Amino acid sequence: MQFALPPRRNLNAPPYIRSSRLSLQRRKQLKAVAILGFALLTVFFLLSQFFYTSTGTAAVSAGTPSLVIVTVLDRVRWSDTYIQKIIKNREDYAKRHGYTNFFANLSDYESSLDNAPKSWGVVPAVRHAMASHPHATHFFYLDVHALFMNPSKSLDSHLLGKSRLDSLMLKDVPVVPPDSIIKTFSHLKPQDVDLIMTTDSEDLSSGSFIIKQGDYAQFLLDIWFDPLYRKYNFAKAEAHALDHIVQWHPTILARLALVPQRIINAYSKDSSSAGVDGNYKDGDLVIRFFGCDTDTKRSCEKEMDPYYRLWSKNSKTE
Amino acid sequence: MSLSRSPSPHPGGGWSSPGLTPGSGTSTPHSGLLSPNPLGSSGISWAAAKAKSDEVRGYPSFSTRNNGFFSRSKRQLSATLPTFRVTSRSPNGYIDKDEFGRQPFSPGKSWRPFGFGKTMLRRRRLRLFLVLAVVLVGYIFFWSSLMERYRRSSFGGGHKFVIILESNIEGGVMELKGAREWAVERNSVKNKQMYASEWGYELEIVNMLAKKRYSHEWRESWEKVDIIRETMRKHPNAEWFWWVDLNTWIMEYSYSLQDHIFNRLDEIAYRDINVYNPLNITHPPTGPYLDEVSRSAEGDGDPSSINFILSQDCSGFSLGSFLMRRSVWTDRLLDVWWDPVMYEQKHMEWEHKEQDALEYLYTNEPWIRSHVAFLPQRYINSYPPGACGDGNDPNIHYAESGKDFMVNLAGCNYGRDCWSELWEYRELSNVINRTWRDTMREKLEDLYDRFWKHT
Repeated sequence: MQFALPPRRNLNAPPYIRSSRLSLQRRKQLKAVAILGFALLTVFFLLSQFFYTSTGTAAVSAGTPSLVIVTVLDRVRWSDTYIQKIIKNREDYAKRHGYTNFFANLSDYESSLDNAPKSWGVVPAVRHAMASHPHATHFFYLDVHALFMNPSKSLDSHLLGKSRLDSLMLKDVPVVPPDSIIKTFSHLKPQDVDLIMTTDSEDLSSGSFIIKQGDYAQFLLDIWFDPLYRKYNFAKAEAHALDHIVQWHPTILARLALVPQRIINAYSKDSSSAGVDGNYKDGDLVIRFFGCDTDTKRSCEKEMDPYYRLWSKNSKTE
Repeated sequence: MSLSRSPSPHPGGGWSSPGLTPGSGTSTPHSGLLSPNPLGSSGISWAAAKAKSDEVRGYPSFSTRNNGFFSRSKRQLSATLPTFRVTSRSPNGYIDKDEFGRQPFSPGKSWRPFGFGKTMLRRRRLRLFLVLAVVLVGYIFFWSSLMERYRRSSFGGGHKFVIILESNIEGGVMELKGAREWAVERNSVKNKQMYASEWGYELEIVNMLAKKRYSHEWRESWEKVDIIRETMRKHPNAEWFWWVDLNTWIMEYSYSLQDHIFNRLDEIAYRDINVYNPLNITHPPTGPYLDEVSRSAEGDGDPSSINFILSQDCSGFSLGSFLMRRSVWTDRLLDVWWDPVMYEQKHMEWEHKEQDALEYLYTNEPWIRSHVAFLPQRYINSYPPGACGDGNDPNIHYAESGKDFMVNLAGCNYGRDCWSELWEYRELSNVINRTWRDTMREKLEDLYDRFWKHT
């Protein structure tokens, strides 16, 4: 028998047709599976993103101040009338722009200071303000012997706005005047700035600075407040300690922006050691009576009085 | 046609009924033009062909030709290829189409599903067998290197870990190295290499050669800091950096860092140093000006904020084995770890240099505490019995029953013999890390010995 086998169903069909048709089907199946898989992944990704953001952001209650002005009051040394004037001046400024004041009592930190000079009180005070206002973003420490002279200027538009800060930042200048070999970073961007400071003719000025809430602030303040620095007998205590850490530790320098002195730290004409163009001129935001508390010949109350009267007259006429 | 005699059953060939086996001799081997499945009932056709060729050749013994596993499976294999369906030919050059359809096993029309199914079954079985064989061969020869590849790749996660091993301590300057020091170094490096390649980690062997620079600036041993920074730059994709001293031995190659530590970090690590506090550090910090996280004993309690993992021995922090995570926090710590003003005041007291400096910073600066976690010592840093304190504390010292990960021969340079201790632990770890083959062989040898000794 020649053809004992039953003939194949499709004798004429090319031998590969079956497999190719199969692969066509397969391809379709694969395509469907791929689309389905992709869709599932997308949904999963979106959902995870959704849940991540929903749990990741901490709720900030409305009306939280964006900026806190930090002042350290030594009620033992200064008369109450003097302190009340300072408080009045700062409350007025804060009210105009929706900021908050944080008045710290130096006596609260005395045990922590451990016999170090009282000017060290600035460091725990700022840390304390941060702990008490965990949702505020910026903290403006201003020495007690200073007045807001131009309260219409808000710090946001005057200094903290991105483009404004970018134009004010001094790049590639010595951090400690006049000729430190350590210079501020020339490629620093305003969004990377966590600490805004000024220099006078001798040091980084620890009497007026703005620091952003966050890891960097804790890091800087804790280092600055290290017991070994407090015990070291720096001639200018915390100011020299600050000079030291900024120059020796690039991770601190990396987020520091220097701005011209008169932006937040104009010195009165009686103060020595103002930097180039560092003396107060009409229209500046603040005036500081730098050194009035350490120089025995000067009196902070007397120096402040004319400026205080000028300020109260101006704010009444407005 | 009839045969002169019934063919003997051939090994592996099955039985073919002699009466139905054609023997015309007229059918040519190449005539099976349209047989779609010449090997459909291959056993039978094979037997028939066998018988035929036996007859033709005139000697009746069975031949071993084409009898092997491969040739048989080759036939099966080739049958699955479409081309062979058209111009199919029997591999041994013999086919008789007449025999099809006349087998007692496949009477009439019903042969097709039956034969087809059977073939399919066989093909499948064969395929399965082949796949299994390939898998087995692959497993035996390529598995370990494949796993290593995978673990090293971005999927495996091994590239996230870098082991930093110090070597050549004070090499060439402070002391001459003898044969024992070389042996310690060679073996310890080998040990870390084996572990790193097992899990696809990067191993960075750093040369601790005494550098003029550091002695000049009075900061020997702070070069650790520079080395870690440099290693972080060199491996930009790695996340965790594990510093290991030279006088250490990884006992358990089977522990990955992920499984052993990081996947259960929140269970095994403690941030509250009061859990074990040989230095009596006041914890948590009490400053009234501090924020809540800094004042809490557990930091923020989130294991992802841990950037530095170390262990404590009986006298305080131990930096023989510690882990650092790449982070801004770590950069800052590495930056402030050495400071000239602190060093000037403390260098007479800080006998253990960078270790004491770290203890100091931890004690005095709250920003550090909330990102440091401690592991009970035996997770990453077991000491040999007797190395610390009275030498009996089970939380500090290695125990074989505890399957400790790594042993650190801390202090072996001071009056002990590093090489002999290292050698002991090397031998012990070889026993611990026997493969199942070694275990099997050992058992067999054991049996063999017992058998021959008893008889």
